[in-house]
Order: sequence, then structure tokens, then C-alpha cells
Amino acid sequence: MDRSLFRITPSGASGLIFAALAFTVLPAIAGSYWMSVLTSAACFTMAASGVAFMYARLGMVSLTQVGLMGIGGWVALRLNYLFDFPFEVNLILAALATMVFGWILALPALRMRGLYLALVTLMAAGGLEILFSTFQFPNGGVGFWGVKIGSTDPFRGPMLAQTPEAFLRYVIGMTTLGFLLIEAHRRTAPGRAWALIRKSEAAAMAAGVNVTLYKTWAFGIAGLLAGASGALLAASLGLLDDGTFRSPESILLFALAVVGGSRYWLGPVIAAFLYRILPALLNTWGVNADLAYVIFGIGLLHALITAPNGIAGQIFEAAQALTTKPRGQK
Amino acid sequence: MNLKKGLMALIAMGVMAIAGQASAAVTCGDTTGQAATGAPIVIGGIYADGAPGDWSSSTDAAAAYFACVNANGGINGRPIDYRVENDQWAPEAAAQAAAKLVNDDKAVALVGNGSFIEMAVNAKTYKDAGIMVMASACAISECFESSNIVSTNEGPLPSDLGAALYAQENLGAKNIACIGLNIPDNGVWSCQAVIDMMTKRGGTGSMALLNPGAPDVNSALLEAVASGADTILMNLPAGLAIAVLKAAQEQNLRDSYNWIAPTPLYDLSVPAAIGDYWDGKVYVQAELAPVSVNGPDAQNWLAVMDAYGKKDDPRDTFSQGGYLSAQFFTKAALAMDPKDLDDRAKVTAAIKGISGYKSDLMCGPYYVGDADFHMPNHAGYIVKITKGGFEVVQTCTEYDSDYFARHIEVEKKLGLR
Repeated sequence: MDRSLFRITPSGASGLIFAALAFTVLPAIAGSYWMSVLTSAACFTMAASGVAFMYARLGMVSLTQVGLMGIGGWVALRLNYLFDFPFEVNLILAALATMVFGWILALPALRMRGLYLALVTLMAAGGLEILFSTFQFPNGGVGFWGVKIGSTDPFRGPMLAQTPEAFLRYVIGMTTLGFLLIEAHRRTAPGRAWALIRKSEAAAMAAGVNVTLYKTWAFGIAGLLAGASGALLAASLGLLDDGTFRSPESILLFALAVVGGSRYWLGPVIAAFLYRILPALLNTWGVNADLAYVIFGIGLLHALITAPNGIAGQIFEAAQALTTKPRGQK
Repeated sequence: MNLKKGLMALIAMGVMAIAGQASAAVTCGDTTGQAATGAPIVIGGIYADGAPGDWSSSTDAAAAYFACVNANGGINGRPIDYRVENDQWAPEAAAQAAAKLVNDDKAVALVGNGSFIEMAVNAKTYKDAGIMVMASACAISECFESSNIVSTNEGPLPSDLGAALYAQENLGAKNIACIGLNIPDNGVWSCQAVIDMMTKRGGTGSMALLNPGAPDVNSALLEAVASGADTILMNLPAGLAIAVLKAAQEQNLRDSYNWIAPTPLYDLSVPAAIGDYWDGKVYVQAELAPVSVNGPDAQNWLAVMDAYGKKDDPRDTFSQGGYLSAQFFTKAALAMDPKDLDDRAKVTAAIKGISGYKSDLMCGPYYVGDADFHMPNHAGYIVKITKGGFEVVQTCTEYDSDYFARHIEVEKKLGLR
């Protein structure tokens, strides 16, 4: 019963309440500027959840997540100009295509661990960066790359979300679904297999776990989430630019996921806050947004030295300490 | 003692006379000499500052002009609250900048915009919000092919065509290599127009494209050289074009090619930056009148920048563009009923109604009109970089291209031709 797919844990309940509040309150109170910032942050929360989940469940470091977002965005743009599909179809196809790309990336990388796996994914991010900067993103042209000379053609957003408020709700809803997908996996056979693999690959193999399948599956989920977030980012802007998907951004997103706390739902939210909302706050206060990088560095040192579970871990541990009665107290 | 007092009085009178001349030299709005004190009118502006360059010259100049207007009666007594945002060359930041200015700050118009990206991201936002953007440093096609954006500068397509046509007609160019940024609506768009023009005229052309995030000018220069070109067109922001010239100087390529550039290289600091090596060897298309043309508006632009701008604000084409956009907006706003100045729809209508505004900085009249495309400025000068300055080698010239046919048609309808 404890392993029931639908059991609500305190952490899960807090996450669902947070998502519900974000869904209802944020679009109602945010001005247009913050709506735009929050939409970006919600997209990157989804992408960060993928990289955080891989690190937390399997100990695998993927430094290509933002590059994978670019793949999802590219596919969504290409489909938008190629067919008259509704946005939702393009979103699903972009997520699935990126999942397949994640699988392809995973297969040669599976023999690697730790630093070597990280380096392989970083090289993949570098390769994607070159592809994006060379061929650019589809803008309504013909041919495989779909790039035409001159102005960008219009992009069809979701029919259900034609206003910035509705689109922010849409992205928050999709991001919540992404978290639920990860949690559903964690509570079923893949989650048990990942837990065993994380402890010992040899033990997992001895127990009959198909290590290759489950590690590839994890890469696929991270790719699926990155692809969906890239498609949502494309819909929010109507176009994409190669500068958004450079390889240092993937490193930064992973580092911030560690700072945020990869084991908790709150970790990717904190990562996206640091990645997109903090620079916007600094801008609003008239401070150079590059100061955010200094804060990121301090945050990473803090996580490495004193908070192995990240800021989210510290928050949840503090909450647990507050709610747990001391021994002997009735 | 009396002699000393008299001398002091004479000096004081002299200083006052000089001050009077200086203030008379600057003309802004109503030029009342009285600071505006009414309720502010919110005007926005978006610039780009980040890798690979600072593109804030136009908003700097617009800010200087509006400061001058505010010190001289404002818009019928109301000062302009000019708010600028940086798009950081990033689509997300560009969308956020427009969201803030258009929706949160409730700007009634945007003036002086200069960017490589914000117009592509925000053209629909501007149209949906019914706000007009009087841009000044447009670098992408969306800027000239949108209903709610109009610019005082020409953009890379006419500027490149002007430089290339001059080279073809006067320097014997037969094969032009265009070094541009790999941006479909900027470098590729304008370089392709040059290649098409050269092909149509019996010549040929090619493009060498740079990654805007990590521009390698040496590679692009080598690619241009390898193309077999006789002329190299540096279709780049000033900083990158200077880097190309430095790389070419290191390889002593000056005399092997014609060197041409669009308007970004028309910056008063450029001749000193590239040095004597390039004396008389680089031809630049200037989208607005060079300083040496020295008309009253050109003098006023420099006077406004000296009096109200920062010392290190560039004195370049985009600064002229920002000054002009701010001046044209002010003129249109001054003609409005003051109580309508907070009504965006009426301000937009007033801007769309602009027709036949003239300045000696522009070759032709400035107009806006109600169309899905705008390019009131599509003629320019050619200057040659000389020791310490620029020499005009071709005055106002219109460029032969089918691209301008629809603009000419509009101008005929407005009675401007």
C-alpha cells in the first residue's frame, strides 16, 4: 500500500499545493514583465527537473539538457511551419523526438560513468551548439532546415492559451505534469530499478535488472522533458535563437539543479528561480544582472560544502525538524 | 578698483553672450528655455547591449534629445519620461523588455529602438497593443516589414546595396564577398541582396558568415579571400568590422581588394581606431548625412549630444537616427491636443499620420503611413575614410533594386515624389 502510485506524501502534497498556487495566483498578480519572466522560468523548471532527476536517481551527470531543449524547440518550429497541426500535437511530437534523441545520445554514453559521462554529454551539447549556430532555427523556410532568408513567419501557440496569463498557466500545468511523470516512474518498476542501479550496477545486474534499458529510459525521460520545455519556450517567443542553447547554459542549469537540490521537487524550481528570475530581479533593482553569476558560484560552493541536498534539502529538513515533536514530548 | 569692476562686468557679459549663443544653437521642441513641469508622458525605447556588440547609440541620442525637449517646455508643458530597456541580444530578454514598456509602463510609443532581435520577437506584440515604434537602429528585416515599426535608419539591405553599387560602378568590383552575421533576417538577408544585385549586373558574389555568439573574424576573412572576390563588404557592427580591418592589416591585404562597408562603420571614432594604414582605402555607405554636410539639423544633433548626451555616447549614424526619431516624434506630439497624449491609439494615429517631415540629415522626406512595411529612408551617401575623418565621395543616391518598388509607390500616393 505504501508503494501505491497515488499515495500523497507530505512532500508531494506541498508540491501540488505549490503548483496549484502558482497556477492560480501568479498569473493573477504578475505584471506583464513578470509574466514573461515567470513563463521562461516555468519552461526551465521543466528542463531542470529532467537533469535533476537523472542526477538524483541514477547519479548520472547530463550536461546537455539545454541543448536538448533546443532540439525540442527546433522540432516544434519545424512542424509548425511544415504542417497545420495544432500546437499540442507539435508539442507531443517535439517531446517524443527529443526523447528519441536522448536515447540515441545515451547508448554510446552508457559505458561511461561520472566525469566521463559528463564529458560525453558536454561534447554533445557543444555539437548541438554548432548545429544551431550554423543552421539556425526554422523560420518558415522550405527544405529540411526550414530556414528562409528574411522575416520569421508567425508561430501558432496553443489554442487554449492565447493570452500571456493563460500561457503561463499552460506552462505551469505542463511542468506539473512533467513532475508527476517523474514521480510516477519513481514509484513503479523503473524507480526501483534506478535505486538499485544507483547503489551498485553489478548488484542490479545480478538481480536481473536490465541496466542498459533503465539507464536509456532515464535519458529518454530527461530528453522528453527538455523537448517539451523547448517547444513551450518556442511558443512563448514565436522564434528561437541559437544563443539561448549554448553549451555553457547546460552546465549552468545542471549546477543550479545541484544548488537547488536535485532530490526534491523544489530543487528544479529553485534552479529556475536562480537561472531566470534572479537576473530579472537584479535588472529591476538596477543592478548588473551578471552579478547573478557570482551568486551562482557562492550557491554552488554552499551546496558542495554544507548542503549536499541543496537548498531544497535544507528547507525540507528544517520543515521536518519543526513538525517532528522532540522525543519524550507528548 | 573701478577698472577691475568694469573688467569683471565685461567678462560677465562675454560669458553670458557665449552662453546665450550656446543655448540658441540647441533647438528642441518648442525651445522655450523653460523646464517642463506637467504630468510626464511615458515613452519607451529598447536597445541591445551584449555579445557581440553595444547597440545603444540610438537610445542614447533619443534620451539626449528628450532631455533637451524637457528643458525647453516639453510637449506643451509636459515632460517626456523616457524609459529604456536592454534586450541583451536575447529573445527572452527582448520579450520581457517589450512586455514591461508596453504593458506595465503603459508607454504611448517607443522611440529610438536599436536591435538585432527585439523587432522579430516583438512585432506582433506591438501590433496587438496598437503601439507604434519609431526605431532608429534597425538591423533585421522584421523592422522594415511590420505594420507598427518604422525606422529613421535604412537597415543593412539598402546600406549594403549602396556600398556594393558604388564599388561596382566606381571601383570596378566584379566579385563581392560579403562578411555578415549568420542571422537569417540580418546578415543572410542583406548579403543575399548584394549577391542578387551583382548577379543581375553581370558580376558575382558570395557570403562568409560569422557566428554572432563567437565571431571568428580571421576565419571569415580567409573565407572571403578564398572566394576569389575583388571586393570585401564588411556587413557587420562597427566593432567587428574594425576587427576584420585589423586582421586584414596584419596580412597586408589592403591593396589586394576594395574595402566597403555599410553604415555602422560611419562613426566619428572609427578613422582613429583603424589608423593611417587604411587612409583613403575604405568606402562606407552612410544612411544619414555625414557631419561634413553640416546642415542645420546636423549641427543641432551634435549640439544636443554635447549639451545633453554623455561625452562617450557615439556620434554615428545610429545616434543621428535616434535624434531624428525623437525629433519627429516630438514634432508629431506637439501638433496633438495635449489631453490626447496619454491615449496610445491617438498617439499611434498621429505617428501614422506623419508625412513629409524633412531634415538635412535625411536624403528624402520622412513619412510613416498605414502599411505593413515601412522604409522612409532608402537613399544615402558614400564616404571614404581618410586620416582623422570621412570624405564624401557620393552625395544622396537612391539604389536600384526591386525591393524599393512598393515604398516608391507609397511615396507617390502620399505626394512625396
